Amino acid sequence: MYWLEQSQVEMLLSKLAENYELFGPRRDEVSGEVIFDRLEDLHQLDLSAPIPYNPPKYILFPHYEEILKYRYNRKTKEVAIERINHLKPKALVGLRACDLNGLMCLDRFFLGQEFVDEIYLEHRKKLFLVSNTCVRPFPQCFCVCTDSGPAAREGFDLDLTLAGERYLVEVGSKKGQKMVEELGLKEAGPEAAGWKKKVVDESVSSFDAFAVENKAWISRATNRLTTGFIKPEVWEFIGNQCFECGACSFVCPTCSCFNVEDVNRLDGTTDRVRTWDSCSFEGYTKMAGDHNPRKPVEDRRNKRFFCKLSYSQSKKYLRPGCVGCGRCARVCPGDIGLPNVVTYIRREITGE
Amino acid sequence: MPYYRGVCNFCGTGCGHLLQVEEGRVRGVYPLPGHPLSQGRLCVRGWHIHELLQTEERITGAFIRENGQLRQVALNEALAYAAKKLQKLSGEEIAFLASPRASNEDNYLFGKFARAVMKSNNLSLASDAGQEESARVLLEGCGWPAATDSLSRLKQADFILVAGGDLTRQNPIVASEIHRARRAGAFVATISPRKTQMARLSRLHLRPAPGTMALVFEALARIIYEEKKVDLEYLNKSTENYQDYLNYLEKINLEEILDLTGIAREALTELAGRLSSAKLAYVFYPTGVQSLDRRTMAALFNLMLITGKLGQGEGGIIPVAGLSNLLGSYDMGLSPDFLPGYLRVADENSCQKFEELWQTKINRTPGKSVSANLAENKSLRALMVVDHDEEIIRNVSRIKELELVIYFGAYQNAFARLANVIIPRPSYAEADGTYTNFERRVQLNRQKVKPLAEVQPLWKTLSWLAQALGHNWHYESAEQVMAEISRVVPQYSGLTYEKLDSSLGIKWPVDERHPEGTDCLLLKQNNAKFRFVLEEKSLSQSALFAEKSTNFPFKLTVGRSNYFWHQNSVMKRTFIPKREYNALLLLYPKGFVEISAEDASRLNLREKQLVRLISESAEITLAARISPDVLPGQLYIPYFVEEMIPEFLLRQVAELEKNEEYFLPVKLEKVG
Amino acid sequence: MESSLIPIVTVPEVATVVEIREEIDEVKTFYFNFDRQEIEQAFKIKSGQFIMCTVFGAGEFAVSLPFSPENDRKHISVRRVGKVTAALHELQPGDKIGIRGPFGNGFPFEEIKGKNVIYVAGGIGLIPLRSSIVHVLQHRPEFGRVILVYGARSSRDLMYKESIRVWQATENFETYFTIDRPEPGWNGEVGFVNQLVAKINLPAENTVAFVCGPPVMFNSVIKELKLKGIKEEHIYSTLERHMKCGIGKCQHCAIGRTLVCVDGPVYTYKQIKTLGEQI
Repeated sequence: MYWLEQSQVEMLLSKLAENYELFGPRRDEVSGEVIFDRLEDLHQLDLSAPIPYNPPKYILFPHYEEILKYRYNRKTKEVAIERINHLKPKALVGLRACDLNGLMCLDRFFLGQEFVDEIYLEHRKKLFLVSNTCVRPFPQCFCVCTDSGPAAREGFDLDLTLAGERYLVEVGSKKGQKMVEELGLKEAGPEAAGWKKKVVDESVSSFDAFAVENKAWISRATNRLTTGFIKPEVWEFIGNQCFECGACSFVCPTCSCFNVEDVNRLDGTTDRVRTWDSCSFEGYTKMAGDHNPRKPVEDRRNKRFFCKLSYSQSKKYLRPGCVGCGRCARVCPGDIGLPNVVTYIRREITGE
Repeated sequence: MPYYRGVCNFCGTGCGHLLQVEEGRVRGVYPLPGHPLSQGRLCVRGWHIHELLQTEERITGAFIRENGQLRQVALNEALAYAAKKLQKLSGEEIAFLASPRASNEDNYLFGKFARAVMKSNNLSLASDAGQEESARVLLEGCGWPAATDSLSRLKQADFILVAGGDLTRQNPIVASEIHRARRAGAFVATISPRKTQMARLSRLHLRPAPGTMALVFEALARIIYEEKKVDLEYLNKSTENYQDYLNYLEKINLEEILDLTGIAREALTELAGRLSSAKLAYVFYPTGVQSLDRRTMAALFNLMLITGKLGQGEGGIIPVAGLSNLLGSYDMGLSPDFLPGYLRVADENSCQKFEELWQTKINRTPGKSVSANLAENKSLRALMVVDHDEEIIRNVSRIKELELVIYFGAYQNAFARLANVIIPRPSYAEADGTYTNFERRVQLNRQKVKPLAEVQPLWKTLSWLAQALGHNWHYESAEQVMAEISRVVPQYSGLTYEKLDSSLGIKWPVDERHPEGTDCLLLKQNNAKFRFVLEEKSLSQSALFAEKSTNFPFKLTVGRSNYFWHQNSVMKRTFIPKREYNALLLLYPKGFVEISAEDASRLNLREKQLVRLISESAEITLAARISPDVLPGQLYIPYFVEEMIPEFLLRQVAELEKNEEYFLPVKLEKVG
Repeated sequence: MESSLIPIVTVPEVATVVEIREEIDEVKTFYFNFDRQEIEQAFKIKSGQFIMCTVFGAGEFAVSLPFSPENDRKHISVRRVGKVTAALHELQPGDKIGIRGPFGNGFPFEEIKGKNVIYVAGGIGLIPLRSSIVHVLQHRPEFGRVILVYGARSSRDLMYKESIRVWQATENFETYFTIDRPEPGWNGEVGFVNQLVAKINLPAENTVAFVCGPPVMFNSVIKELKLKGIKEEHIYSTLERHMKCGIGKCQHCAIGRTLVCVDGPVYTYKQIKTLGEQI
């Protein structure tokens, strides 16, 4: 491991900015809230900021993205199809461990199954990832329950952990090693691993009671979800509170459902557009004709939580589909973010 | 920095969002954390506004109709053409149809153009008369035309009543706040004939027969009075006519009301008890197509007044607007009767004030709404329209007869087919402007994307028109228009762009006494006393219904969906909400009527079976949808199935304009 | 991209519609050839697979392949149901379409050699079965009894009348047809498919059944087949789901823990039963 002095952070950023577009947590000047945004100025980066309201998912898997452009001339029968490729290398700096884990779920899902998603791959190829250990947990976090924080274990090029006044830097890749050498960072010596562990242990021990309590319950809920032993009334209760806005899927670092539409442009071309979608929508499974295999809203809720917590889905991600970031709870108009759903399942089990 | 702060432009909630803009195009949307109202939430519509903002179905240039064909021309040519035509018109010969989604700046100048340039008071919005009626009732009762409180203390409320509509569909984030307050311990009651999601989330759901909601409120007041829970000292001190109201309450026959409404006495007693003992009590009602009628709003106002919930910080009445700047539109005086700031055309002092401010004569004859003009005004020759968001246009044949129809619009729309002149407008993300949400929160939404060169903000194109017509209009920016608004509209007097830029909205009145805006109407702010709003009519519609019930035994009500409200043409430019709307109709492509299982089995009706719905003046064939959400004797149809509206609903528009509390007596026949 | 030419994953390959036939009301068959010769050569399918078909300017939809993996003209048969299929129906010979795929697992073929094969189809449910029927008939001696039971609402709603005539002429291919209501000129069976299945002498041992049709028909036929002693794990069907990508990413076709596009679309009834959703 290496040391990165506070004064060297800017050096790291400038170095990255030579080859990458920089993304990281910044504060909105009026609301004071943190968003993971493209940085126009290195000083916008705030490494001490709480977990950003939006996961970095949109950088690899945009809300709205043209994936193909074609032009068909019906008279001459000529077809021209082109892949849209305008991607610049990007550096994601100050990733929280939950979000890095989320990104790795997306990797395994988009790249590691039977087919490789070529669109995602294009985005993914050119990233530089710098993670940032949460030296203290934030109010809605429960990554300790989902094994995804407060420190990243893998997947980063560089990992930062604030130890005292400066950062311990762990290298996770050749790209990262090269960067450390170019910056001429000072080696931290053999004790560094112990220091990092101490910081992480302190962070773990300061999680809210709700997260600590939930730890056991999340695995029991996982069990129930996988086996399907949850009473329909529980789903009905949850379904009644669902406003069907799709927000839980949109803010989830691992949700990757998408919709595809061909959009005709004024210049006579057509864009194939891929947009975020959510399984909480009624029209999501709808088929042309008149058949919808999945109808009531509680069924669709069930589907999403199955995806987040069941063993079978975890096999695809090699970890639970939930990374404990707590965003779904903040964004849900119906107050049925994942922690609350676990609570409802727990109430069913204990009969509270 | 691709994410820019802004305000959602769909419904009247005014949620904060972040628009993701790359290379001059909107690419995504995200809820704005820390927004005082929406607090990082958006509804399904808000989550897809970027799809609308990217649509190709825009109006991108100016057009003039010649020999029946639209021809694209330069913007200044179209404006010059329009000015030449307008020059020849008197104020009686033209009407102005305004948009409840346009900014305050655009709306203010549109109203000023009508009154100061064209000398016309024929100025109105297309629908949502419920908002205007609500303003009238509140003005009469407490001298304050909008929500008497905001959502800032809702979480501390111990009593919340939702009257009519379904806020979870119409204003989901407002409903979410109510849901949160419920989880924090508030007693939430819903009063609506139909079982809505709001009703499902409530502790108590009263389902009065359609048309009898006013009676429910009067009965509640009567019970509270009977139980001597009325603070007479407060009433004496702070109201003018409480004795009249108490006399009225004494005459009420409670048994008769129970019978007409179909509500059990125990439920009413419980609700009355909860309300009168509440420390902080709020009532909500929607003001759009599902608005209450005047009598019901008045009864609700009186109920809150008699329980002492108004003026002392113990609660409030919150009308919830269905469209983004509906309240702002009335603040700007887009009504035949209201001048900006709710001054009245009929009031000579007010007219003089505006003549001084505007340095020109205005017309003293009160105008009529646009629909009334189209229906009754034989001398009408021209119409000016801003962004008609609906697919359905009333009085199409009359509009076709007009000599001049000028349409200012951002999106392609059915109205453009009727226009002689089309002037493009920017989308709300392409111009600066302020929008006023239902809680009086004025929010500045900055330009994030540059429009095409020929697309200019409405305040600018109107200024050019006014100049061409000899008026000295020189506005350089939306900010300058706001500067004028703050001089003209007392409630906005303390607002500046500078102040708005560094805030997430400021609630009017903003003036010398309240430089940071006002959360809640308090008696000391309003020197005048409150008044009970007493209505002459007391015969309920249900009593009238009894006369017709032999021929038309069902009571038909209408409602909205999550994905479409009205027949909103803007939602059709999105992917996901459009798909969801289509999914809803997949099983019922021609629309549906909801009927209770009891009635269906009595009539031997199957799900999806075609039925003919017949009222006194129209009929339509639809599929039956057997629903647990309607009571026996009632029917419900959604007010968003395009085909149904002109065929059936528009034929009885007079009935429907009386709002949700009114229903259509209909009968149902099986087809085949 | 070129190294993994087939299946076509992301960018559709352009194909020309060479012939269009009206099959029944609202259903047309489109014969096509790929424009690029190397794709034309490399495009190999298994019966029961599907493709994603682009109608340029309208969109893309999933459609099962009705042609045999061997010696059969490439075509799709499509009912007009939505915006995209309506646009497809507007096409004329010579127009272009885009193709991605083939995707999905397909029907068993090698594994069922030597067994009796029963096909039961209702209405346009014959479309996805056609591929397997033709393939099996092409290898007729390698199978036991081969039986087709096919029903439709009326004689006008029977798909692939031309193919059926050819099949009926095939030796050792047992065919049974039924329509819902009697009509003049119809000498065959009248009634629902399940009633016909009940009447026929069907083998149960060493037998597989392929069933495809609308949900009501499907469930009643399964009941009859089980009564005949055919095991649930030997009854195959193909599921139709809303799909956007075809490669297991968009998740529109997810049912419980399975994705129809990559794990299906062919499932045994035993599997279908555990999926926990409607057919």
